[in-house]
Amino acid sequence: MSFEKFKDRNVGEDGYYMVDIEDYPETGWGKFKQVASRSLKGELFVGLWVVLREMFKFDIHTVQYPKEKLPIGPRYRAVHKMLRLFESGTERCIGCGLCEKICISDCIRMDTKYDENSRKEVTEYSINLGRCIFCGYCAEVCPELAIVHGGRYENASEQRAHFVEFEDMLTPIDALKAGQQEEFPGFGAIIPGSDKSVKKTPLAY
Amino acid sequence: MSKMIQFTIDGRQVTAAKGESILQVARREGIYIPTMCYLAKTSPSASCRMCVVEAEGVDGFVLSCNTPPTEGIAITSDSQELYSERQSIMKMYNVNHPLQCGVCDKSGECDLQNKTLDFGLDEQTFAVADQRRDSKVWGVLSYDPHLCIMCEKCTSVCNEVVGSEALFIRPGGYKSEIDNTFSKCIQCGECISVCPVGAMASTDFEYSSNVWELEKVPSACAHCSSACNLTYEKKEKGTATLGAESIYRVTNEDDFDALCGAGRFGYDFENRVSEKDEDAFAIAVSAFENADTIRFNSMISNEEALLLQRLKERFGYRLINKEAKKYQEFLNAFTSVSGSSLYSADLESIRKSDYVVTIGSAVSTDNPMVRFALSVAVNRRKSYMAYMHPIEDEMLRNLVTQYVKYEVGSEEGVLAMLCEMIVDESAKETHKAFFDDLDIGYVSGESNVGEEELELLKKKLVRRDDPVLVIGADLINHSNAVNIAKMAGMIERHSAFSVMIIPPETNSLGVSLICDLDSEEGKSAVGYNVAADFVLSALGDGEGDLDMPALSQQEGTLTNIDKRVVPMNAALAYHGYELNDIANALGMKSEHVIDYTVQLPQESGFSQVRFDDLPNHYTDVGEEVRGYRLAPMVSETSATVDAISDIREFNGSVIYRCDPLMQFNPFTDKAHQIIDEALLRGSEQFAVAARIKDGERVRFTVGEDVYERVFKVDERLKGTVALNPSFDSSENYESYRYNQVKIERV
Repeated sequence: MSFEKFKDRNVGEDGYYMVDIEDYPETGWGKFKQVASRSLKGELFVGLWVVLREMFKFDIHTVQYPKEKLPIGPRYRAVHKMLRLFESGTERCIGCGLCEKICISDCIRMDTKYDENSRKEVTEYSINLGRCIFCGYCAEVCPELAIVHGGRYENASEQRAHFVEFEDMLTPIDALKAGQQEEFPGFGAIIPGSDKSVKKTPLAY
Repeated sequence: MSKMIQFTIDGRQVTAAKGESILQVARREGIYIPTMCYLAKTSPSASCRMCVVEAEGVDGFVLSCNTPPTEGIAITSDSQELYSERQSIMKMYNVNHPLQCGVCDKSGECDLQNKTLDFGLDEQTFAVADQRRDSKVWGVLSYDPHLCIMCEKCTSVCNEVVGSEALFIRPGGYKSEIDNTFSKCIQCGECISVCPVGAMASTDFEYSSNVWELEKVPSACAHCSSACNLTYEKKEKGTATLGAESIYRVTNEDDFDALCGAGRFGYDFENRVSEKDEDAFAIAVSAFENADTIRFNSMISNEEALLLQRLKERFGYRLINKEAKKYQEFLNAFTSVSGSSLYSADLESIRKSDYVVTIGSAVSTDNPMVRFALSVAVNRRKSYMAYMHPIEDEMLRNLVTQYVKYEVGSEEGVLAMLCEMIVDESAKETHKAFFDDLDIGYVSGESNVGEEELELLKKKLVRRDDPVLVIGADLINHSNAVNIAKMAGMIERHSAFSVMIIPPETNSLGVSLICDLDSEEGKSAVGYNVAADFVLSALGDGEGDLDMPALSQQEGTLTNIDKRVVPMNAALAYHGYELNDIANALGMKSEHVIDYTVQLPQESGFSQVRFDDLPNHYTDVGEEVRGYRLAPMVSETSATVDAISDIREFNGSVIYRCDPLMQFNPFTDKAHQIIDEALLRGSEQFAVAARIKDGERVRFTVGEDVYERVFKVDERLKGTVALNPSFDSSENYESYRYNQVKIERV
C-alpha cells in the first residue's frame, strides 16, 4: 500500500485568494502614522455599518442553536445508538460482550441470560457516558453492527440516569417501521464494496 | 525399586519412571505436546491423535499419551510433518463447528478456539451436510451436540472418575453424540468442567457471563471434609450495582482434581450483610461475657476453632461440639492402639489401592470424593471393592464388587470379625483377651454376615498390595465407638491395611485436633451456627442474633480428609462483624483471624506457616501442592481392645440419618441450584412395614427431636431402613445414625 495520497496535502486552489495585508510598521514613526490614520479615518464605522446593513436585510446566517443544529459528519462519534435488524425488528445485539471487553474507559456493563428461544439475551446494558471518551472502539469491535455512534452530541441532563440505558439508545420500533433507521456509515461500518472480499463458507453447499 | 528409563525428547535427556507415558514425561519436563482428548486424571482414550510424536527408528507417528518410552529412544515433539498432521486434525474438528463463539460460554477458555488459532486455521475448505440435532437439558447439565467434538472426555470422566457410567456415546458416524442415562447421573457436573468446548454447559450459568469478565478466587470447598480445591468465579451482577458481587460459577483444576455437585453448584451460601450492626454487636459481646459455654459445629475454620480454644483458655468457656467431640474420642482411642495420632490413608491411597473395604459409611452422599476415589481404584486398578453397610446403595452398583450387608447396630461385631480375618499373629498375641472372647458364630448370627462372605473377602485379599479400610460415621457415632476405634487402631498397626476415618463434617478433624472439647454444658450458652441462648449465624435471613460471614466469605484454613491444611480465600466481601471482632472486644488481640494460622498447635501436627505463605496449586503433572500435610505424632501404645459388647437388635421401623445427594447442611440447602425438600425416603418394603403410603405426612421422634416430614417411596432404595435427612438443621449430631422410631401419620 502506498501512502502517497495521504501525504499529498494540496487542498486545491478554487476559491482561494491571497489577502492583501500591509506589512507591520517597524519604525517608531511608522507606528505613529498607523495609529494616527486608524484613529482619524473612521475605519471603525465601516464594520458597524456592515452590521447595521445586514440587520435590516433580514438574511441572517447565524444558526439558532439549540433550536437549529448543523448537520454533523457521519464519522463523528457522539452518543451511541443501538440498531435493530431491518427485516425482523429484533435487536441486533447478541450479547457477545466484546464492547464491554474492549472499552478502554471501562464504562460499558451488561448482563445476559439464556432466553426462551435458546438465544443469548441482553437483560441489562448501560454505558456510563460520564466516563465514556467516545473513542469508538465499541462500534468498531461490534460484530453485528449493533452498537454505533450517533450524532447526538449534547451530554447535559438533569439526571444521571439519562447516561445511558440500553432502551435510550435502541431505535424505537415505530421509528424502525417508519424507515427512520439508517445504516450507519461511520466508525466500524462496512467499507463500501466489501461484499466482494467475502469468501463463501463451506456451509454454502 | 523399579527401573528408570533414559531417553530424549527434542534432544533433551529425560528420565521416565515405570508406567509413565511419553506425554507425562514431556509435561513434567515442561515440553509442550498439544492434546485435545487427554485428561491427566483418567486413562488416555487416545481418540484425538493430536499428541502424536516422532520416534527415531519407528515408522509413522507414535501416540505419546499411551505409549511408554523405551530405553534410549529419541522423541521429536515438533516438526513440519507433525505440524501439518496436527493442523489437519484441527481441520477435522472444525468441520461444521457452529461459528457462535460470540455468544458461546466457552469462548475465551475453549480448547478448540485456542488450538484453531494456534495452528493458524483461518479458513475451512470443506464441509459435510449438517443435520438437525437437538439440545438436551439434563438437570444442571445442558448438552448441545452441534458444539460437541466427540473427544470423549466427559464419558471417560463419568465412567472412570465419577463411576456413575451415566454418559455414553450414541454412535452414528458423523451423527454420533453423547447421551445420558439420567437415572444414573449424580449431577456432579464433572462433564461440564472437562468439556473442552461449549457442548457440555451448566444450565444455570449458560449465557450469563463471558468467562473473561469473571474474577477468580481460589479457595477450598466448605461442604464436606474433602475440602476440595475450587475456584469461585465472581463479578458484579447487573449494571446498576456497585461493589455487590455475586459468585457466578465454580470451577476446578479439571485436568487433575474433581468436584461433586455440592461443590460445583452449591456456591451461593454467602451471608449478605450491608453494614455493621453495632447494637447487635454490643449485645453479642455482653452475651459472651455472661455465657459460660460456647456451642459450635464443624463448619468452622481452623483459625476460628483455635480462637475459641484461646477464649476457653483465657475465660474458661466450655466448648461444646458434640460431633467433633465424638470424632476426637474416636481418634484418641484409635491412637491408643495404633500408636499414630492420625490415620494413614488418604484419598490418593484409595485411588491407588487394589482392595478397599468401606464400613459404616454411605459414601455416595457422606463424602463424594471417597466415592470418586473408589471409582478410580475400581476402574484403573481393578480394585476389589467391598461395601459393608446395612443399606445397599444403588448409586454404587457399578463399583461394588462385594456387598456385605450387616444388621443395624452390629458394626462392632462386624469390625471384630474383620479384625480376626486380617490382623497378624502379633496382634492376636497383644490383644489376646479380645480374641479369646470373640465368638465368631454369635457375631455372625447376630450381624447376619455369613462366614462364607468373610471367606470370600479373605480369599480375594490374597496378593493384594495396598488394601485400605474406610471407616464411616456409623462407627464413629456408635455407642461402643471407643472400642471400635481401638479395633481400627489394631488393624492399622497389625495388618497391611491402611485405615481412613472419614471426618463426618467439614472440619471435624481440625476441630478435634485444635480444641479441648467439653461434654458437660454450662448454664447459658452462646451458639456459633448452632442453636443456643444467643446465636451467631452465618445463614442470614434473621436466623441468628448476630450475623457472621459464611465460609465463602472468610479467610482461613480447613483440615481435610487427606490430613491436609488447605487455605480458603474470601470470595465475597463481608461488611458485618466476625468472630474475631467479638474476641477482640473481649480482650484478645489479633487484627485478622488468619493471624492464628501460625499458632495452630504443633503438638497436634500443624506446621508453623503463615496463611499468606500457604501454597495452593497443582504442578504440571498434577501433584497437589495445597497447604501442608499434618505430621502424625507417634506415641507409645498400651491400650488393648476390650471384648465386644452384646449386639443390640433394631426392630420395627428404623431410620438412618442420611442426606440426599449434594446436600450436606443448611448452606447447601440455601444454594439456589440445589433444591431438595427434606423428605423421609424409604423403600416400598419400608412403606408396607410402617403402614404408610407415598406422599403421606408422618411424625416421628428421634431422641428429643420431633420430626414432621412427608414420606416418599424411593425406588432406588431397598430394605427396611428409611433415610431421614439432616441438611435442614444446623444441629450437629453425635448420636448413632440409626434410630428405631414409631412412625405415625399426621
